[in-house]
Amino acid sequence: MSNELISKKDLLDLTGISYGQLYRWKRKNLIPEDWFIRKSTFTGQETFFPKEKILERIDKIQTMKENLSLDELADMFSPSAGEFKLSVDELLKRNIVSKPVLDFYLSETKSITDFAFENLLHLFILEKLLQSGEINLDEGKMLLQVLSDYKDDAKQSSVLFFIRKLGISSCLILSSTANIFFEKGTKVVVQISISECTEELKTKLI
Amino acid sequence: MNVQNELGNLSINGLGSSSGGNFDSVVINGKGTVNGDIDCHSFSCNGAGTVNGAVKAEKMKINGSAKITGKIYATTLSVDGRGSFKGDVYSDKMSISGSGSIGGNVKGEELKIQGRIGVEGNCEVEHFKSEGQFSIGGLLSAENIVIRTYGECKAKEIGGQTIIVKQETSFFLDILKTVKSVKLAADVIEGDDISLENTKAKVVRGNHIIIGENCDIDLVEYKDTFKIIGNGRVNKSVQL
Repeated sequence: MSNELISKKDLLDLTGISYGQLYRWKRKNLIPEDWFIRKSTFTGQETFFPKEKILERIDKIQTMKENLSLDELADMFSPSAGEFKLSVDELLKRNIVSKPVLDFYLSETKSITDFAFENLLHLFILEKLLQSGEINLDEGKMLLQVLSDYKDDAKQSSVLFFIRKLGISSCLILSSTANIFFEKGTKVVVQISISECTEELKTKLI
Repeated sequence: MNVQNELGNLSINGLGSSSGGNFDSVVINGKGTVNGDIDCHSFSCNGAGTVNGAVKAEKMKINGSAKITGKIYATTLSVDGRGSFKGDVYSDKMSISGSGSIGGNVKGEELKIQGRIGVEGNCEVEHFKSEGQFSIGGLLSAENIVIRTYGECKAKEIGGQTIIVKQETSFFLDILKTVKSVKLAADVIEGDDISLENTKAKVVRGNHIIIGENCDIDLVEYKDTFKIIGNGRVNKSVQL
């Protein structure tokens, strides 16, 4: 992801939203506080945003606010899970996960009948990576292990990495947006942001 | 000392302490200390109360002096005495007629100030109305902001939909002005519709901007309309 920044003025110009809207969305937590980057310029202080992220977010808000209230939207973007449970049948019916992946998940974890959001998220990430063929079943086990071991740390801005070198694979979770450097022969198989997965899953659930 | 714990009520009359918990109503009339979190229906403090923990209440009223170290979640919160809150405050309806100082952020629907309030973090509500004094260390953000400058008003940044600042004039205030600044001061003010009086700011940005009496603004950036009324002073204005 690029680190390009956009100033507040340019952002409003580009998207056509007003100051009132921007502040309203911030108040409703639709735009996270840490995206507001304050820098001093020759006119005093100016606020900047990570360009790619903010444009994508505003686009999402604008297309979805027709159908959802701001509070529902905020719920969707929030990294915390909210309380609900889904049964196995419901999962398959809603097409959130495929049968083979679900069976694999159930055989790996203790068979649960009701899925809390956290289980769902792990399952969702597993499904995504297995379906895309990027990892195999053994590696899937490893993935679930890492996700469940560090479920409390792996929230907000965490990124999941899956790497492989000379046929040996490993997986790790990076909890902040720091840079990460690999050795030359290492192949980064997968790099996905957990908060994006959370959002994606939430859109599927609504 | 008289601590009753009947029917889930906690009342401290005189000198007493409790360890917190769930209650229907919590009343502190003397000098009471609660060590622990409180979850209750109504909380009122008429004497000197200290809570070393968080308070969750539907109705919270402070007439005496209260010190609370944790977060506050109150559907309605009114401070007529002195409230000193170290953490964040979440309240749908908050009114400060006495004095309130908040170490964290304020979040809610409505905030009315007739006394004075100090917020170290941000203050984000839907409706902000001040007829007193305030000092906000971070951002003041609201859908509607109405400020009557009866006292010294300060915020680092102000942002919202409509921002109206009105100057108050009275004989008493005129005298006060000679010794103390009675103005709104902010670094940045941003909104859709802005109408200012008696304000000092570095930058004002918005769609429709009116700069009125006793204003001193370095830079105005506007989209649609811009007007100066009376002795308002603007260094530079740019249409975007």
